[in-house]
Amino acid sequence: MAITRKASAGTMQSSDLVVEIEPSPTIEIEIESTVKKQFEHLIRRRIETVLARHGVTGARVRVSDRGALDYAIEARVETALRRATQ
Amino acid sequence: MIPPALPLLTSRERDEARRLVEAQGLSYEACDDVVGIYEQGRLVATAGRAGEVLKLFAIDEAHQGGQTLGRLLDALTALARADGRGVLLVFTRPGQASSFAAYNFRLLASGSEAALLEHGGGLEAYLARHAGLRRPGANGAVVVNGNPFTLGHLHLVETAASRVSTLYLFVVREDRSVFPFEARLAMAKAATSHLPNVVVLDTSRYAVSAATFPSYFLRRTDRAARAQMEVDATLFAAHVAPAFSIERRLVGEEPHCATTAAYNAVLADVLPSHGITLEVVPRLADAAGAISASRVRSALQRADLEGASRLVPEATAAFLRSSGGEAVARRLAQGAEPGCESQRG
Repeated sequence: MAITRKASAGTMQSSDLVVEIEPSPTIEIEIESTVKKQFEHLIRRRIETVLARHGVTGARVRVSDRGALDYAIEARVETALRRATQ
Repeated sequence: MIPPALPLLTSRERDEARRLVEAQGLSYEACDDVVGIYEQGRLVATAGRAGEVLKLFAIDEAHQGGQTLGRLLDALTALARADGRGVLLVFTRPGQASSFAAYNFRLLASGSEAALLEHGGGLEAYLARHAGLRRPGANGAVVVNGNPFTLGHLHLVETAASRVSTLYLFVVREDRSVFPFEARLAMAKAATSHLPNVVVLDTSRYAVSAATFPSYFLRRTDRAARAQMEVDATLFAAHVAPAFSIERRLVGEEPHCATTAAYNAVLADVLPSHGITLEVVPRLADAAGAISASRVRSALQRADLEGASRLVPEATAAFLRSSGGEAVARRLAQGAEPGCESQRG
């Protein structure tokens, strides 16, 4: 799956996150989170899993997270991905 | 459940936003976007965006806390994204800083009456982009608007460069002056190219910008302006200076412009507490007084190219003779104010 344009998904509400995806030659993930210290590595791994599942090899992903749980992270990344590949 | 914030488009809606903002003791300013939340036909929360600066946050007392701020930020960040803005700044009261920090805004600088926060990692990106310009040593900094770059600026830069290992010459990026940023940067680079220890770079949004110091461009010296100057000085001292081993900031003495004089005074207050020395360099003068950019602009306004050229280095004179310089002279002749912002230190 190739990223063709910039897209985003999510909100800034508590327990949610905003995911922004844009084209890039490599995978770059930037994470801002209110729970960055404890969970950055887990958020990153979850994003990488979704990207890999869709065969994405190049994307710049920026995340602003307010303590979202795994299923919310998956859903937001997946939605942003679909919007970015339309 | 708080409803989502929506763009306020009609003048009636914007008047309501103005009233809510003013009821909170803030002054309303023009914005690209204004958003608000209505409850039973009444506006209960509002906020605005001017470029990459979010402001005018006003939430009626009964709706503070909870989801309201998040709703406003959702709407504003979506509009900002659509406008291609990846970095957003908030200028707010220090007591409000923690509310924004909960939305992943990072505190850049806090003064006694105002705080500046950023979303999107712009400062890290700016410092990383210029990491190749880092030099060890006891370095100094000069910040100029250079509108245009004069013999006075050159004198300040030469004096400063003789006192430090590397002198960083920051050119104000904000494009609100009659000489465009690219021209101001090019003039500063060309005019100082004979000085081997001078490194010229742009300030991005992190000094004397619409985010840190909008009053500079409005020539105000009131309490709000002072709060901005304090934030601007603190941001420089706490983040920019350490990245480039800057121990001294050098400014031109300011006998004429009240805004610049006030800014110099704030720098003198703020910098020492961060271990940075402020040095005031006397202005270069000719028979008519201190050489300033405003004198150059006044001469151009009178179509006195020769008089203007006597006050500037050859690099600037060459620009004044170019088509870009002619365009600036035309704008000045058509009534763009020559202003007083001249030799920013």
